[in-house]
Amino acid sequence: MDQNTDFQNKLLTVSPSPHIHRRGLSTASVMKDVFIALLPAAIWGSYAFGWRAAVILLISVVSSVAFEALTEILLRRTVTISDCSAAVTGLLLGMNLPSSVPFYIPVLGSAFAIIVVKQLFGGIGKNVMNPALAARVFLTLSFAGKMTIFYPFRQTVDAVASATPLASLKTGALPEGTTIWNLFFGQTGGCIGEVSALLLIVGGVYLLIRKVIRWQIPVAFLGTVALLTFLFPRGGLTAFSDRLDFMLASLLSGGLLLGAIFMATDYVTSPVTPWGRVIFGVGCGALVVFLRYFSAYNEGVSFAILIMNAFVWYLDKFTMPRVYGKERREKKPKA
Amino acid sequence: MKKFSFRGGTHVREHKDTAAIPATRLPEPATVAIPLSQHIGVPAKPVVAPGDHVDIGTVIGTVETGLGCPVHSSVSGTVKEITSYNNAQGQPVQSIVIENDNLRTRAATVVPPGIKLEDATAEQIIEIVKNAGISGLGGATFPTYAKIQSAIGKVDKVMINCAECEPYITANHRLLLERGEYIIDGLEILMHALGVKEGILAIEDNKMDAVTEMESLLKARDNVGIRIAVMKTKYPQGDERQLIYAVTGREVPAGKLPADVGCLIVNAETSAAICRAFYRGIPLVSRIVTVEGDCVKHPRNVRAPLGASYMDLINFCGGFVKEPKKIISGGPMMGQSQWDFNAPVTKGTSAVLVFSEEHDRINTIHTACIHCGMCVHHCPMHLMPNYLAEFAKEKRYDEAEKMNVMSCVECGTCSYNCPAGVQIVQQIRVAKGVIRAKKR
Repeated sequence: MDQNTDFQNKLLTVSPSPHIHRRGLSTASVMKDVFIALLPAAIWGSYAFGWRAAVILLISVVSSVAFEALTEILLRRTVTISDCSAAVTGLLLGMNLPSSVPFYIPVLGSAFAIIVVKQLFGGIGKNVMNPALAARVFLTLSFAGKMTIFYPFRQTVDAVASATPLASLKTGALPEGTTIWNLFFGQTGGCIGEVSALLLIVGGVYLLIRKVIRWQIPVAFLGTVALLTFLFPRGGLTAFSDRLDFMLASLLSGGLLLGAIFMATDYVTSPVTPWGRVIFGVGCGALVVFLRYFSAYNEGVSFAILIMNAFVWYLDKFTMPRVYGKERREKKPKA
Repeated sequence: MKKFSFRGGTHVREHKDTAAIPATRLPEPATVAIPLSQHIGVPAKPVVAPGDHVDIGTVIGTVETGLGCPVHSSVSGTVKEITSYNNAQGQPVQSIVIENDNLRTRAATVVPPGIKLEDATAEQIIEIVKNAGISGLGGATFPTYAKIQSAIGKVDKVMINCAECEPYITANHRLLLERGEYIIDGLEILMHALGVKEGILAIEDNKMDAVTEMESLLKARDNVGIRIAVMKTKYPQGDERQLIYAVTGREVPAGKLPADVGCLIVNAETSAAICRAFYRGIPLVSRIVTVEGDCVKHPRNVRAPLGASYMDLINFCGGFVKEPKKIISGGPMMGQSQWDFNAPVTKGTSAVLVFSEEHDRINTIHTACIHCGMCVHHCPMHLMPNYLAEFAKEKRYDEAEKMNVMSCVECGTCSYNCPAGVQIVQQIRVAKGVIRAKKR
């Protein structure tokens, strides 16, 4: 009883309900899950392109986190590196670079992603575009030569840049000696993190099981690309099996899977409603095919996602779920 | 078996650890402080003065005009003072403090009304419910007589809400197991009053022992009008809008009441209280309270007289084992945190939860909204809480209203599932308050 009276003199916390919270759920836990899901593909990239690739990934992650801390200190904001979002941005950026780039490229990219795209717009949750993608596009446009030298699989010593599957797909065929299975397992040239389709899908399944992402965006995105490339293949393909091959090659090559599973699903820059997500995915897919077919670049994933990023608010607004007990459209009272 | 459910919501960790322990009666408290406003509506006016003798069931406060419930003494003894206390919502409420003489004598007015159910008219039943001071015991505390009155001629179903979807609370669960008869009797009375042929006991599937118990009770009565609807355990299944949708597929239009879609819903304990009032003339003077939380030594359900202090209940349950940091009246999802250890048990107190520092959610890390859409995914009203909270924060109340902020039932599912730890529902409450004030 004495102890009880003692406790009674303590002050109690008075705060609004709810007084409990889903255990183990935080921004950091979500970001850590994304990081974990990316790791297999990142490790495969380092195996495929050697130590240079690993170093680029490391530089990218470290510099992103450093720029986040630095900007926040300079802007007198709370330092938020513990939410792990900068680390994820860094890893994604690194995975979007070829292993051939000089080491200052990832640093420059991180600076652009974190300072310009993220912090100047207000920090986590406020950015309009996906930071890693915006940085990739910035680098592609600024260093067109350096950003398009791709080493072939497992040949890094004095390697000669080779045509990527994407480049030759413009004419409707895969490069000589490359099969669909090579693409699936990641025995091909390309950006560090985008080569292993299998491991990217494994990461995506992990995120789906952990309920970090929902199925709508990846399925709508990839489904649209599959449909369009099957119906309208390049190179005048007509036979069913040729069309199927072209479709599979288009799905498995380039940054499509990395983009559809990890970049288009970025929370901040994607819609929150189920239908908004479907439309967002369809839009991304259609733009990817369009850009791959008709633009000056071989790749269109980054541009496609960045363009769709601009529509997020409208997609959310126009696909607002019907509220319980309300008509979808309120009848306007006659004036 | 078909299990009923609704779209949205979330499975909250249940913590229903007190379900297996029988409810125990609280030993007579030395004093009780009975608030005169334990219901929605006009506060009751005191009809006793300090020094008066009262018995269990003596009317100590009445409401003459307007919506409200009379208040009865829950103990026998002497009125000590009439003073003002802060209630669970933080507003000062006139309360009557009664010193207990521990004799437990019943007031002479507590006599069975002596009406047979077959002969009872709706007016008689409403009068009995009104005089017994019964208000919703689930937590909303709407005067039950008014609820019945407004449902006359409108409803084709009477439902008893035994969902008890809030974590920790097992008061209804124990009542189903221990006083199932009363609940069914109460339902029959309501069905009779409203001339309704269909009665439904809506129970969540985490209480299958209660379902079995109620099934056998119904079988023994050979009653064809009442059935059991087993619902999936999901928060907020006990919200009457979700419950109606789950069981009947009907949606209550925004701004309307369950009666407008032909349903009357009362809480399980309210139903039992109606039974006691109708057959035995006992007014509402006590209720079952779940006393739980990691600070309580022996968590259990307690039958407590109204006006007993939380400290009486906690001491009866063995006192504290840890330093308490938060005391909640009601469930952890919608209950109110208290600053006073001696707050009184009222008609709306379904639980007293005592949590230590480590259980308190203020420890969760807070970042800005990351637009993840968890709140949208889980909202049982299918709102977009992330935008509503954002608008509320930026004082863009008109836009919040356009996005149906007033439809929010404040269940807290959004805040519970928010990885950023944003107090979404609190921001929505602010917006609703401002909009409501503007309309006045």
